[in-house]
Amino acid sequence: MAGKIKQMIDAIIEQRTRNNPELSGVVRTKLMLKGVDPNRYTETSEDDPRIISILEGIIKTCS
Amino acid sequence: MKIRNAYAENQALDRAIETITGAFAGFEPVLLIFFASPFFEGTAVSAAMAGAFPNATVFGCSSAGELTTGRMLNNAISALAFSREAIGDVCIQVVEDMRNGMDVNKAFNAFQEHYGISSHDLDPSRHIGIVLVDGLCRREEELMDRIGDLTMVNFIGGSAGDDFQFRETHVYANGTSYTNAAVLAIVRPLIPFTFVKTQSFVPLDRKLLVTEAREEAREVISFNGKPAAQAYAEALGVATEEASRRLKHNPLGLIVDGIPFVRSPQRIQGSSMLFYCGIKEGMELSLLEATDIIADTRAALDQARKKIGPLSGVLSFNCIMRIQELEQNGLTDQYGALLGDVPTAGLGTYGEQFIGHVNQTATMLVFG
Repeated sequence: MAGKIKQMIDAIIEQRTRNNPELSGVVRTKLMLKGVDPNRYTETSEDDPRIISILEGIIKTCS
Repeated sequence: MKIRNAYAENQALDRAIETITGAFAGFEPVLLIFFASPFFEGTAVSAAMAGAFPNATVFGCSSAGELTTGRMLNNAISALAFSREAIGDVCIQVVEDMRNGMDVNKAFNAFQEHYGISSHDLDPSRHIGIVLVDGLCRREEELMDRIGDLTMVNFIGGSAGDDFQFRETHVYANGTSYTNAAVLAIVRPLIPFTFVKTQSFVPLDRKLLVTEAREEAREVISFNGKPAAQAYAEALGVATEEASRRLKHNPLGLIVDGIPFVRSPQRIQGSSMLFYCGIKEGMELSLLEATDIIADTRAALDQARKKIGPLSGVLSFNCIMRIQELEQNGLTDQYGALLGDVPTAGLGTYGEQFIGHVNQTATMLVFG
């Protein structure tokens, strides 16, 4: 499997910004401070379980 | 005026409170934020400040140097007060037991109850978060991380100080003094506001990938698969012994959209490096080089003025390492003068907060 991390990052940004693009930078900053650099992941990036676990935690907290 | 400042320096507590209430005579604050040197006993100063302004929400913290309009102070209380024309609403909560499973959710449930809306739905263009935290608890990263998950309101603030004694720092709320705690506030201002995060460093073209770290100990064991101290020294192009003398001048930074979130090394310990903030494995950090604090801070304030117009009040959270550098270079008066006669209160911090936890930075909440 590949690309799951990018999908999750996109979902978190959409969920947190609620389509307000001005907030996208803040969400991306928060992700970087958690150790997840959104710029590093594409549709073909390997599914790293450690990063996926971090992102699952964020999605759970924010929903 | 919607915002006013006052300070008292080198006075006994009773006299200092008289000085401050006298300076605010005829002004009815609904919110008052203060920073007090450990020259003043914590419980007494918190009770006295709350008692002096019974109709206001009063909170603050201990400091390592204080800042007032145009001046840096010692052995002082520095306060900023807001009238009801400036502040529409404020709610403060204390998060206790920071070192043992801090309950941030409880504070945010209280915010939800107060504002009648989920913290996730609070509009960040109409609300401000302020965070003051025990500067010795070493849990600022986790606190900011959890706050960031619970709201899109931007939180800004600092870690309390104790005049470089590093024994005990306090946060003040409800007329009480707390250690191992944080005060969180969500404010709905009625006047324009913006945030300033300024650090005087530029990224160099040398990256260090954190390959092994103990985040809770704020220790990096290896960068780029090499012992951390060796990799840092190689990035600087110097011997490890020389590298330990360059820590302040060449900290590391997480670069976000070209802007560093500074991670300051505290010391080299064996082959590891200890930092003033937690660093996560997998983070790519850039080596930074110091620039001019006065020029950079002036530029950051000019940018704030462009955004919100002439400034009417500033809360300033300034890293003690910046203050030390300003003092060593005889620049404290120049720094104090950057804000001119704008009502200002601030402190020397053991860490700064804006979105996350940072070092060697000044964060400022600026009102128009």
